[in-house]
Amino acid sequence: MEKYARQREVWDRMADAFQPTESQTSVEPLADRSGKAGVGTQPTPPKAQATPINLVGRREALQHMTQNVLAGLTLALWSSQPRAVEAAASELEALELPELPPPQPGEDVLMRMMRDLQRALAKPKEQRHWVMVIDLRKCVGCHACTIACVTENALPPGVLYRPVMEEEVGTYPHVARRFLPRPCLQCGNPPCVPVCPVHATWKGADGIVVIDYDACIGCRYCITACPYGARSFDFGEHHSDNAPHRAEYDMVASPEYGQFRQRQGQQSPVGNARKCHFCKHRIEKGMLPQCVTTCIGRATFFGDANDSANLVSELIASPNVMRLKEELGTEPSAYYLV
Amino acid sequence: MEYNLTSDEVAQQSGAWRTHPNTIVHQLTVAQPRWMQILFYGGLTLLSIIGLIALGVRLLEGLRITALTSPMGWGMWVAVYIYFIGLSAGSFLLSTLIYVFGMEQYEKAGRMALLSALFALMAGMLFVWIDLGHPWRFWHVFTRWNYTSVLAWEVIAYGFYITVLASELWLLMRCDLADLALRTTGWRQIFYRVVSLGFRCPQNQNQYQYCHTQSMQRVKTLGMIGVPVAIIVHGGTGSIFAVVLAKPYWYSGLFPIIFLVSALASGAALMTFLYGFFGRKDEDHFAITRGLANLMILFIGIDLILITAEFLVGLYGNIPEHREVYHALLFGQFRYTFWVGQMLFGILIPILLVTLPRMRHNTFWLGLGGLSAVIGIVAVRFNLVVPAYIVPMLPGLDHAINEARWAHSYFPSFWELASSIGGVALVVLPFSIAFRLLPLFHEIGEQFKETADPMPVTPEQSRVVDQQFQQDPGGVPNV
Repeated sequence: MEKYARQREVWDRMADAFQPTESQTSVEPLADRSGKAGVGTQPTPPKAQATPINLVGRREALQHMTQNVLAGLTLALWSSQPRAVEAAASELEALELPELPPPQPGEDVLMRMMRDLQRALAKPKEQRHWVMVIDLRKCVGCHACTIACVTENALPPGVLYRPVMEEEVGTYPHVARRFLPRPCLQCGNPPCVPVCPVHATWKGADGIVVIDYDACIGCRYCITACPYGARSFDFGEHHSDNAPHRAEYDMVASPEYGQFRQRQGQQSPVGNARKCHFCKHRIEKGMLPQCVTTCIGRATFFGDANDSANLVSELIASPNVMRLKEELGTEPSAYYLV
Repeated sequence: MEYNLTSDEVAQQSGAWRTHPNTIVHQLTVAQPRWMQILFYGGLTLLSIIGLIALGVRLLEGLRITALTSPMGWGMWVAVYIYFIGLSAGSFLLSTLIYVFGMEQYEKAGRMALLSALFALMAGMLFVWIDLGHPWRFWHVFTRWNYTSVLAWEVIAYGFYITVLASELWLLMRCDLADLALRTTGWRQIFYRVVSLGFRCPQNQNQYQYCHTQSMQRVKTLGMIGVPVAIIVHGGTGSIFAVVLAKPYWYSGLFPIIFLVSALASGAALMTFLYGFFGRKDEDHFAITRGLANLMILFIGIDLILITAEFLVGLYGNIPEHREVYHALLFGQFRYTFWVGQMLFGILIPILLVTLPRMRHNTFWLGLGGLSAVIGIVAVRFNLVVPAYIVPMLPGLDHAINEARWAHSYFPSFWELASSIGGVALVVLPFSIAFRLLPLFHEIGEQFKETADPMPVTPEQSRVVDQQFQQDPGGVPNV
């Protein structure tokens, strides 16, 4: 929750900066110039939207912001009780899916995926099956997804969830390079799950293989058992290990599983196996996995394969689809378009 | 200090125990020159201190002190762990040859085999424990037990096995321990009282024989339970690897069998070494050492056949991720551990020392052959674990990530080596002390050799002896 608390802090400061004119501006629509409305006054409800194609109205955006600021202020009062904060925040955020404009021709494919995502989130968890589709023809090997994943999950050195493999074919001057990004494939029949001696990793109802960091004893059997090398071990190193003091970016709490753990000493997730979880903390808030959002060529797609109207369902029905090491019977949930 | 005693000499001296109670221990186990003892125990203590420091560093710093990487998840510690589990299971299975399958000619080495099995298992537990990323959570295996995991089953098997092992050892020694607890003084007496768990044995031959027969019957029952348990323990340890679909080098039905056979080879090698050098030097000493050495060669031979089969199939199949491992072993980065460790020390030297006409009549060379195999099998274990990891799981994965912790090569770090050597010393030190103190080489009813009463054979006779003992514990029963 810390991440969002921090966000609220920023909003708080913004609100403070507006303090002298707050009675006039922050919640008051510019159109209404009466100047009578104060802080406590209920902002006038937004007018009926006749133009659905347009973005969120300014009044509405301001209203959202005010609500966020108020929520942040209220939550800050309770900050001494982290559990209460967590519960309250999750309740609030469970309702807060980003509002999306209706589809329009030529829009970014991300918009469609987000709409699909919201439709999937409306279903019970058991009926979702998260799937990633990677179009290898579009991948240019920029490694932006690798880096975005590292930043999103605050990964230490040596822990990578989504490397991009490179291959050079042909001889000069006829040379080509091929790229193969590899997230965790979230196998339907994951070899890493049954080997865990302490039941610390399992396949969730939505098809994502998760790890309970507090249960994991760090035996690395799952890392050994994964036929895709999709699991890393957190050895407890930091990017700034050889620097005179620990850098702040090394102390950023990772939002993984919504747990916001800080890596300190030998506390989990140090000493645990770690893996890609399709940014579970993001998708449950209506956001796409960070690698999907980041991909500059829009080569990575994400969605619910149980929904036939979903973009990924369309893509994996195409004839040029393949999965890695299918002969092992692992039934990966990541597909490649070739 | 005298050694090389024949059993008759020991029997003669046994009358003197009452006058010099504390000398008994030295006479009955092993006696070496003083300087050698000082060197041995001094060295072991030093190594143990290094081991404790390395253990402390490991517990404070975590696995960052290792040279392990994410793709090469298991290294030196796991190799040493399966090495010791193998030694333990091998020694135990050899002891069952005596106590279950009736090869009584090796009986004098039986307790030693069980004692080394017990300590080897503890060493194995130590190494698998320090290999955990969160060692203090080891109890999760019991509270969150996952029945689909071979590793979880193994932990249960180890617990069962150590119980069988310790009870069998105690049953074998309980009469002698009780006897020693009465005859010794000072700290030794306290030690024997503790390890005898308060058991007291009748103080005359017939009663003693009866008690001993009872012990042996129970040992046989326990041994019969222990045989499948030991096979599960080490075959199961092999299965931890063999079930891993991702590693073609391991993924073979032969793999657990190779584990078992090389366990028997390592157990026989350890017995040959220990008995050849530290066994009681009586008239049976050579014959027993020789027999153990022959067993060792037999198991090494079978092991060689199985390994050859695996190699041939793997190389002939020519599947890249399978073949590359064998190439790395034969010609690549593991060629020294393979050719020098596994082949030279583990196979060639032992076979030569046991078969060459000049060597094979001398227990020293036979024991040295055992030692060579004991060392060589460390390399065997290393070669079973580590090479499987060098092939990247997906082509190009080894170059995709330019991070030290994603390297597809491994050489143990300083602390891994220090903790391995020191950890071994930490177990060998108490083992050596136990080896000296415990009555490992007693003969049945040794202290009663002078009085030659017939022993009770039938249950009827035993009952008579029992009744007489209850009526008059000091009297000599008349069967």
